Amino acid sequence: MILLRLLSWPYLRKHVLRWSLTVAGIVMGVGLLVAMHSANQAVLASFGTTVGRIAGAAELQISAGDFGFDEEVLERVQAAPEVRVAVPVVEAVADTGIKGQGNLLILGVDMTGDRSLRDYDLESGDQAIIDDPLVFLAQPDSLMVAKEFAERNHLEIDSRIPLQTAHGTKYFTIRGIMRSGGLGKAFGGNLAVMDVYAAQKVFGRGRRFDRIDVGVKEGVPVEQCRAALARALGPGFDIAPPSASREHFEAMLSAYSMSMNVSSMFALIIGMFIIYNSFAIAVTQRRPEIGILRALGATRAQVRMLFLGEAAVAGTIGSLLGIGAGALMARGIAMYVGGFTSQIYGVKQALDEVAIDPRIIVAGLLLGIATSLLAAWIPARSAARVDPVQALQKGKYQVLSAGEGSLRRRAAALAAILSAVCLWLGRSNLVFYAGYALAVLTALLLAPMVALWVTRMIRPALRWLRPVEGALAADSLIQSPRRTSATVSALMLSIAMVVGFGGVSASIYLSVTEWIEKTLNPDLYVEASEWLASYSWTLPGTAGADIERVEGVEQAQMVRSARTLYHGVPVMVVAIEVAKLAQKVHSRPIAGDSREMYKLTAAGQGAMISDSFAGLRGVGLGDTLELGTPSGMLRLPVVGIRRDFSDQQGTVLIDRSVYQRWWKDDRTNIIRVYLKPGADPAVVKARILERFAGQRVFVLFNKEVRQYILRVTDQWFAMTYTQAGIAILIAVLGIVNTLTVSITDRRRELGVLQAVGGLRRQIRHTVWIEAVTIGLVGVVLGLAFGALNLYYTLEMTRRTFAGIALDYTYPGPLAGLLALLVLGAALVASLGPAEQAVRGSLVEALEYE
Amino acid sequence: MIELAGVSKVFDGKRKVVALENLDLVIGRGEMVAIVGPSGSGKSTLLNLIGGLDRPSQGEIRIDGSALGGLSDDELTRLRRDKIGFVFQFFNLLPTLSCLENVALPLHLRGWPRKKIDERARALLDLVQLGNRLDHTPEELSGGERQRVAIARALSIYPPILLADEPTGNLDTRTGAEILKLVHDVHDRLGATVLIVTHDATVAHSCPRTLTLCDGHIAGDERR
Repeated sequence: MILLRLLSWPYLRKHVLRWSLTVAGIVMGVGLLVAMHSANQAVLASFGTTVGRIAGAAELQISAGDFGFDEEVLERVQAAPEVRVAVPVVEAVADTGIKGQGNLLILGVDMTGDRSLRDYDLESGDQAIIDDPLVFLAQPDSLMVAKEFAERNHLEIDSRIPLQTAHGTKYFTIRGIMRSGGLGKAFGGNLAVMDVYAAQKVFGRGRRFDRIDVGVKEGVPVEQCRAALARALGPGFDIAPPSASREHFEAMLSAYSMSMNVSSMFALIIGMFIIYNSFAIAVTQRRPEIGILRALGATRAQVRMLFLGEAAVAGTIGSLLGIGAGALMARGIAMYVGGFTSQIYGVKQALDEVAIDPRIIVAGLLLGIATSLLAAWIPARSAARVDPVQALQKGKYQVLSAGEGSLRRRAAALAAILSAVCLWLGRSNLVFYAGYALAVLTALLLAPMVALWVTRMIRPALRWLRPVEGALAADSLIQSPRRTSATVSALMLSIAMVVGFGGVSASIYLSVTEWIEKTLNPDLYVEASEWLASYSWTLPGTAGADIERVEGVEQAQMVRSARTLYHGVPVMVVAIEVAKLAQKVHSRPIAGDSREMYKLTAAGQGAMISDSFAGLRGVGLGDTLELGTPSGMLRLPVVGIRRDFSDQQGTVLIDRSVYQRWWKDDRTNIIRVYLKPGADPAVVKARILERFAGQRVFVLFNKEVRQYILRVTDQWFAMTYTQAGIAILIAVLGIVNTLTVSITDRRRELGVLQAVGGLRRQIRHTVWIEAVTIGLVGVVLGLAFGALNLYYTLEMTRRTFAGIALDYTYPGPLAGLLALLVLGAALVASLGPAEQAVRGSLVEALEYE
Repeated sequence: MIELAGVSKVFDGKRKVVALENLDLVIGRGEMVAIVGPSGSGKSTLLNLIGGLDRPSQGEIRIDGSALGGLSDDELTRLRRDKIGFVFQFFNLLPTLSCLENVALPLHLRGWPRKKIDERARALLDLVQLGNRLDHTPEELSGGERQRVAIARALSIYPPILLADEPTGNLDTRTGAEILKLVHDVHDRLGATVLIVTHDATVAHSCPRTLTLCDGHIAGDERR
């Protein structure tokens, strides 16, 4: 401790900027980690609370995916002796048309039984109408809204609000206002309750329910009741406690969580490089001090502990600041992640609060300190090994020794061979990831040597460009590879990470574009909802024939698509008129015979699956697919595998006749409309809207659907841009750090340059060129390693969540943009150090040793 | 050529150090002057002020009639670039550059054409008898050779003023004598005004004029 105070503190005070940058590396890594986990937890907790508020006292919920089920199921549930109460529910998302209020989740419930499950805790209104549900039921336009929603919109009892229904805009009368808290607080108050049978009518459900909420009879274990209901209802139903929704939501967030995890890990690793760099430089610069200490009797352990102590202090400060920064960032990230709830409910999740879990604080602190200690370990060991006699002599310590270079080369060769072996044997994920880690290790081991080689290659060009400034900048890097190698390595890693994720995004984008081109070719789409991802709004089964009668329409293909559970995971089932589809869509299958698979599927003798479904669920051509339906277990052989991006978790395509038979439902939610040659889409659209006047029908042009899908796909790029931002931040941090040291090291050299006539701008140019050269070397290495990293990222994507074998497409435009940004950032990063270089006393600089 | 009027230099650190106090001095064109005195007497400070590497706390310095006080940093640099050549005790060569590149450095900084720079640098290295070491880096040279390169660099612009701070201080006696001979040679050939800060009596005696400094004052001004 005394050494820390006597030696480290003065050094730290003298190099405040460098220490700030070192700490910034840890702040960034820990901050991202804390922010990401806190945001995820906050969103999941809010989602869980919302699910709990909606579910009330229900212990089990029965659903059949998004398809819903017939009313008769309710009787079968109520007949079960284990069930105390079973209440039907219809859930619909409706637009209020009130500006800025978004959608309302309408909960259609049976008032006669529901109050034993949910407490509406009315704020105002005639309590009698709920005490006597018949009064509420007798008025089908009755609506209860939450207090927060009512206050926001200045609504009172008997106020009327518009809602988009299956039959166009209808007005509803507010007959109750729920107190804030409980159900009334779900979705920030964007929730309303109405009678279930009225909901069936206004939202076009026919005689079907979306869900049944169950209260278990006293004394009966919930699991026993679940098993009894499963036996009674068969395989087509999902019977689970309300908390299971949270797990499904968590599964939906998994791709995003993984991406964030990888980003924060990369940030920490890169932070580690920045710390390593700072300590390596500190050890080099403090060799005389270490020599004196050793000469005075300090043991190797004491010297090592001195540097590790400094690392622990830097780690602690960085972690604490990182936790603070993470807490600030968490809310922003949580708002973004919260948007995912709209994919399930159509209503954006309001965040209650973003609390930082004490366990995350401890984990962040430990991780930050551990990272710092790990990064400082090698420099601390080097410091402990300093020979006191040599240390007191002047000389060069920045040069990589021939022995070290050879050792690195041999280690890199070994790691590369092992990595290749892992790739060859990489069926198991563990071996694959070990191979990936070894590939990264190879790149890191080779980075200093390759960086040196690249700098030597570009020196003549720099010298030609600026004879003094260019040559000096390149020489500075060549003479001190140790000073720049960590920055170059950090840049290389971060650029490679962006290339990896950017390449995946680009590949997905290309594949989606190709899929859109070949599959989404109808001229018009007729839907019951303007929101393309909504599956609960439907049109009657006669709508297809009605549209085909419209002048100018050649063919209408009715589609019923919705999510259902497959082995506990929600997947998309698309029921379509396959015979018609085969006439219009000619995409090359990934597996199976194109003609045969359409023929068998149209005949109801098979199903086609998407390659993502095949990859993620481990299902292949010829395997039997088991889908639970309200009529029992549907078993169909897989007759073809095709590319389909309709859903991230995979798609099963069946014929509409199979759906009608097994789901006992002839509704449709999308109708693909092909026009006769020469027909004007705008005119036909107007005709369709006229034919369906008074009904909730939306007609979209092909271009609008394409744009929507590409917009959703663009969300992938949002993450890439975040990572590019991190890469640039690293470029700035690392380069500022390196240049600060470089300028200190070269103080005398720069002084000489000024003494013999170098103008300030010429000195600035030297520093700028050095910075841009570091950036350039980092970019060259990063883009090269990025090519390999992209391969691993694509494979990781396939194995973990997309299930699709994406084409390898190097993201050229992104690489170009990244190169420009990093070089620009390098130049900006050099402005401060360049000014530092031209300020100060020339006399002191010339005397500086 | 060089005029100092009431020049003082005070270093404000934890305690105030007066390096030069109220100095008046005139050095004519083509003079060769040795500046001697004990350590801390202000010799190097005087050289730095004349060379425009530092600014006086008080008083005025004129080079060729131009007052340095009103010049900006870049103007001061231009003055150094065009009129002053420096030779340092520790050579201050750039270790990564070859002999040729080190000598060419001030010329590149002036933006001369490459061909002309190359010719001048080679000629100067021939002059200091290092024409056979053009591509060597400083670490491949002996101390005397390094100082020769430094002198060649200082002469690259044919400066009217040559300032040398202990040019032989880091060399053995024989090499020191050679360097001194070279400086005299340059003085004779180019007619430059030469100021040499030295502790070495031989060097001081070789110069026609010797200034002795003591505690920031001129204690003696001897002409031979």
